[in-house]
Amino acid sequence: MDYLLHILIVALIYGIFAISLNLELGYTGLYNFGHVAFFGIGAYTSALLGLSGLPVSLSMALGMAAAGVAGALLAIPALRLTGDFFGIATLVFAEMVRLFFVNERWLTKGPMGLPGIPRPSWIGEGIAGLPMFLLFCILLTLLVALTSRRLATSPFGRALKVVREDEYVAQALGKNVLSLKTRAIIFGSVLAGLAGCLWAHYISYISPSDFTLNETILVLLCVVLGGKGTNWGPVLGAFIIIFFQEALRFLPIPADFGRLVAPLQGMVYGFVLILIMLKRPEGIVSEYRGLRQC
Amino acid sequence: MTYYAQLVLNGVIAGSIYALFAVGLTMVYGVFRFINFAHGELIAWGAYLVLLLINPPFSVPLYLAVLPALLVTMAIGVGQDRYVYQPLIHGNRITLLIASIGVSYLLRNTIRLIWGSDLMTYGIRPVRGIQFAGLSITPTQILMIGAAVFFLGALYFLLTRTILGKSLRAVADNMELAAIMGINMKKVSLTVWILASLFAGAGGFLLALDTNLEPMMGMTNMIKAFAAVLLGGAGNVWGALVGGLFIGIAENVGVAFFSPGYKDFISFALIFLLLILRPKGIFGVLAGVR
Repeated sequence: MDYLLHILIVALIYGIFAISLNLELGYTGLYNFGHVAFFGIGAYTSALLGLSGLPVSLSMALGMAAAGVAGALLAIPALRLTGDFFGIATLVFAEMVRLFFVNERWLTKGPMGLPGIPRPSWIGEGIAGLPMFLLFCILLTLLVALTSRRLATSPFGRALKVVREDEYVAQALGKNVLSLKTRAIIFGSVLAGLAGCLWAHYISYISPSDFTLNETILVLLCVVLGGKGTNWGPVLGAFIIIFFQEALRFLPIPADFGRLVAPLQGMVYGFVLILIMLKRPEGIVSEYRGLRQC
Repeated sequence: MTYYAQLVLNGVIAGSIYALFAVGLTMVYGVFRFINFAHGELIAWGAYLVLLLINPPFSVPLYLAVLPALLVTMAIGVGQDRYVYQPLIHGNRITLLIASIGVSYLLRNTIRLIWGSDLMTYGIRPVRGIQFAGLSITPTQILMIGAAVFFLGALYFLLTRTILGKSLRAVADNMELAAIMGINMKKVSLTVWILASLFAGAGGFLLALDTNLEPMMGMTNMIKAFAAVLLGGAGNVWGALVGGLFIGIAENVGVAFFSPGYKDFISFALIFLLLILRPKGIFGVLAGVR
């Protein structure tokens, strides 16, 4: 039962993470392949502040703010690039952030990671705090999802979609494309930071190996599997992926083959990613179902 | 002084291999206008296939193992184009890009499945370097430079002296116009993929000969190759060559000034700066010499 609660919490955290990527990838059409950097910045900032004795809610807020600032710092130069090049710039940015976590031992303790990150005081530590943490995650996910939905139907969200479809049209209509994109990235980064904070305070241990390209691919898969550019698609994708991942643990696998599970899982993810792109690039929930979203 | 000269020499050795990777990556970009994220996996597969062949049950001598390994690498390269990229080439850019990330992830995890995640080597006894003027270079490193010169020279001959090379350059210049002029697109794209995977596989093998093998080698080197591509201007073959050498030297000389943990950071930071300051590459002069 506690295990189920654990899976639900992880799925919800990834749901928030996926929604934040969807804001950039789905709505604005920005190929951000380094989204995990903001997840990591949020997690590290919040963890370090929390460990230094700040109240958790305050350190989480500061973690989100740090991720947002990092997003703005990335956006200003990187948005001069288009398409593939933006993708590579963000990918490289994420690797640089990770190398920073690994090498700046005085701050992050390097590869050893940060243990013992406190949870919010009203939730309680260990297994006893699981139901409360789940409730906290559900509330936050709902809040994030509703905000994202509100955003998508607002004039701002519609302008983002125009930018995605055709930048020149957006410009011709008098929209400031750069400002729209920057705001989308900052917003996405803040939410990714939130997911990172939740992750750090839930797992209570983080290390640079939690914030690699694999996590980027995982969240990318959540978004494209669920349906990019939709409200609930990314959350659905996150639930499918996380439950699939956890279900693998129950397969009766002989101990000798235990080490094969992770690569096999990766192969399945890669294969699914290719298959979705070939057969159903819009994902499970299609954006254009009945055109209700527009 | 000798210390810095040695660093530059190491940089040239690494750079010649990066150039091999970068040339393949930039050719694919030049023709298809997309960045193949799975290019790195071709590098890794080239290296690992040799490892497969020299160990039991095959136990082929190293020099005989190279050719079949490269052939299989080419098959992988052509296969990913045929079954994944070709059906998507006329669609949305993002679809193609995400598909190539999927291909990369699939191939990398297949390596982890077969060979595990640990560092591996070909198990060749290290040879004492040849000394001259205070510099040291091993026979393997001479082979690396020699192979890079051979492959890139052959490419130069192909691109400038043959009809096939001419049509390749035409397609890179303007795909639609080239197709209208009756250039066989299938032949051109097949050639590009064969060359790209050949260079990647050969470079991967040479790099593994000098250092070691690990599943992430493809991704790291792909990013470095991409830095080289950017330096030279995307789609510019000779720019990529110079860019590769530059990245190799910058990275190795950088070790003298930064902690080695930041070795990769240097090429990454370079990419970032380049993308922002000179997105068209710093060799603007060479842009006409495709």
